[in-house]
Amino acid sequence: MRWLLWCGVLLIGAETAAFAAKHDLDYERLRASLNTLAADPVLGGLAPAERAFAEQAVQALAEGGSKSEHAHRLYMAERRVDIAYAAAQAADQERKLGELDREHDRILLAASQRELQRVRMDAERQRMESEMRAEEAERLRLEGEASAQDAEAARAQAAQTQRLLDAQSKAADLARREAQLAEATAGDLRKRLQNLRATRGAQGMQMTLDDIAFAPGQAGLRPEAKASLGQLVAFVNRDPGKSIRIEGHTDSRGSTDTNRLLSQRRADAVRNALVAAGVAANRITSVGLGEDQPVAGNDSEEGRARNRRVDVILEDQPAH
Amino acid sequence: MTPNRRKIHLGVSIFLAALAGCGPTKPPNIGLDEAVRSLAAARDAGAPTYAPMELRNAEDHLAQARARFAKRDYDEAANLVQEGQADSELAAVRARLGKAREKVDARMHENADLRQRSEAGDNPADAQGGQP
Repeated sequence: MRWLLWCGVLLIGAETAAFAAKHDLDYERLRASLNTLAADPVLGGLAPAERAFAEQAVQALAEGGSKSEHAHRLYMAERRVDIAYAAAQAADQERKLGELDREHDRILLAASQRELQRVRMDAERQRMESEMRAEEAERLRLEGEASAQDAEAARAQAAQTQRLLDAQSKAADLARREAQLAEATAGDLRKRLQNLRATRGAQGMQMTLDDIAFAPGQAGLRPEAKASLGQLVAFVNRDPGKSIRIEGHTDSRGSTDTNRLLSQRRADAVRNALVAAGVAANRITSVGLGEDQPVAGNDSEEGRARNRRVDVILEDQPAH
Repeated sequence: MTPNRRKIHLGVSIFLAALAGCGPTKPPNIGLDEAVRSLAAARDAGAPTYAPMELRNAEDHLAQARARFAKRDYDEAANLVQEGQADSELAAVRARLGKAREKVDARMHENADLRQRSEAGDNPADAQGGQP
């Protein structure tokens, strides 16, 4: 009978000890969990109120009480620790969200600044291009005036020479007649330029300026030819995407080098006139082919006149 | 006023006081109303989506608290109310956490997308600038 009592005492003692040990384990577990949270480099500084609340709940767990009271305190302490963790994590996520929002704004700002920069550069480039075009047009206008003056002087000199030689030689007579012919053709030059027709050549549609557009033996376009280039300008502007090839040709009289040079200078003159009329300079290439590509025989005056020409070609295939 | 009347007044007062003291015991305030408000707040915060388990715990605890309260087991009811209250708070804060995580994810993708598009938007401009 006595041993039964002892057993009972021992049993109760063991149960109490087990309860106390379990009690301690729960306390240690939650305390360690809270310490981990407090020591966390990121979460440790966040949600201090929730953590303090959890500290109190865990502390209450250490104060003992009845078995049912302990279960309640344990539940509360666990929930409070959970809340402390979740609150710190939520605060951390919200901080991250704030950073991402600021980054979002920075990206948008940078993009709009790049766009603005691009628009500014575009505007600046266009301004410079139009300035350059205006300058080139001005330069060409001045050059044209200068060459017109040169031509005027040359004509006056030629007339004088002509008068001098007039009575003396047959050659002078011929020269005078040629000059008269040139004068006469200049009269209907405008009409002929206005009646220019585009034809299809090997490299694309083309228009041919014949040599009456140029003063005899001169590289520059006649002033009246410049004024009536509308047809040609309309032709090249019909397809602004295509590049323009300007080929100068001569007849076979004179040296090959001189002819090549003259044809190049005439092609350049047409190029300059087109640029002055507003055609983009970078569309145009001008070449002097000299006497290499005749379209007629060089043994008649008519054939030679047809060979002296400038072809303006709207290229089907860009050269580059 | 005669001394006699005063005595009567005193007697009535004492009687009323005694009556009040002997009436049926008024149930204690165990914070049930506040716990119900916390539960509603957790639902509003999005707990049904982000913390359904915690919300269920809160509801269960409050239901148990009401049952205990009806049986006048006020101490246990008060404990259950506290537990339900803590469940509601946990549900609300986990809902807040879930929402914040979703927003962070969405914003991260959005930013990556935006960065990629703004870089891609740069390239054609560079290519254009490089043309003769």
